[in-house]
Amino acid sequence: MLPIAVDAMGGDRAPDEILAGALEASRLGFPVVLVGPEGLEGRGDLPLFVASEVIAMDDDPAKSVRTKKDSTLVRAAEAVRDGRASAMVSAGNTGATMASALLRMGRIKGVSRPAIATPIPVPGGSPTVLIDAGANAEVQPEWLVQFAQMGSVYAKHRFGVSSPRVGLLSIGEEPGKGDTLRKEAYELLSRAGGINFIGNVEGRDVMTDDVDVVVTDGFTGNVVLKTLEGGMRTLVRALLAAFSSKPEYKEHADVLLPALLPLYDAVDPDSTGGAVLLGVDGVCIISHGSSSARAIVNAIKVAADMVEHGMVDEIRAAIAAQPLPEATSSSE
Amino acid sequence: MPAETHVVPDPLDRDQIFTIVRDLLVDILELDPEAITEGKSFKDDLGADSLALVELVEALEEELSERTVGFRIEDEDLADLKTVRDAVDFVHSQLQAR
Repeated sequence: MLPIAVDAMGGDRAPDEILAGALEASRLGFPVVLVGPEGLEGRGDLPLFVASEVIAMDDDPAKSVRTKKDSTLVRAAEAVRDGRASAMVSAGNTGATMASALLRMGRIKGVSRPAIATPIPVPGGSPTVLIDAGANAEVQPEWLVQFAQMGSVYAKHRFGVSSPRVGLLSIGEEPGKGDTLRKEAYELLSRAGGINFIGNVEGRDVMTDDVDVVVTDGFTGNVVLKTLEGGMRTLVRALLAAFSSKPEYKEHADVLLPALLPLYDAVDPDSTGGAVLLGVDGVCIISHGSSSARAIVNAIKVAADMVEHGMVDEIRAAIAAQPLPEATSSSE
Repeated sequence: MPAETHVVPDPLDRDQIFTIVRDLLVDILELDPEAITEGKSFKDDLGADSLALVELVEALEEELSERTVGFRIEDEDLADLKTVRDAVDFVHSQLQAR
């Protein structure tokens, strides 16, 4: 496998945590190349693609990709485009990561807009794929059909779900529930081929085993993602406080810890390995901004998994087999 | 030196520029060519977001730099391009000025 290009300067804890993660992944046998400034220290014997600029977390995504042509993000995307890397991983500016991948790797033919797919942990079950988790704040109903198609391919090949159940995130299960976007998307999804559409689902269903792919617009998807992450964190903190509130509680909690720790691990965002940008012509993993070394190791593992499963070609085939349905509403 | 190295291509006329812009939009936005007319607004009629417009600009720069060395659309100018007509007029005026 060609090396996985890791943006050494992307993220709140870059470069130290990124380098530690990249080194650990390399030690585990994953081929890694860093993208960073010349003379980057602390990288051991990892190879380096030199890039002199860094796109900051608060830089304008599209503008920065055009003006910072020698940035780590742009160079990482070019390495994939030019066949010098098999995938890119970044914990940097999400919008700029998406813009770099889109503008340098290009879109898979037939894909209207790339979307971010994030696995949401389901204790005891296979993760639910949330798509779009933040790439497109405003969407058209037909795009949601493609998100469903791409999310299904991802759930099938990454998590081994043979016929992923696709749900449209809304505010009620009945077809008539939701705003205009949801109603139009429901109609299109019902008619779309190549997916197993089970109807509307609600926010409470996302972390259950009742659905495999949850489709929504990027604004809603990102709110759902952050709400779940925040909720989990608060819940874990409250549990730990309760366990240690009295000595006798702590004794019992110590007995339970071996059962609770894997559960905590299962819902920890660092263990899911970041989100995947689906629809671009290359593998691009977007790790969250506060990524630790552990999160980077997992993101590199996900990237390798995507490359080994030929995910880009699988999506290309799925999109080619199922062209977009005609919208019923008149938007002209 | 072969004579053809001195040949300067004829400047593109407006219709040719429209065709280039339309074909790029067909590719970027996955639309039928008939859906793209000069009066269409990028955002409201064609559903192009800011990133799609940057894709268009980068593709135009690549396409036109072969004819006009260093052809570039600045970000400040990009903000003024609201319709297909705006884009065609802008490119036309830029090429005329060279």
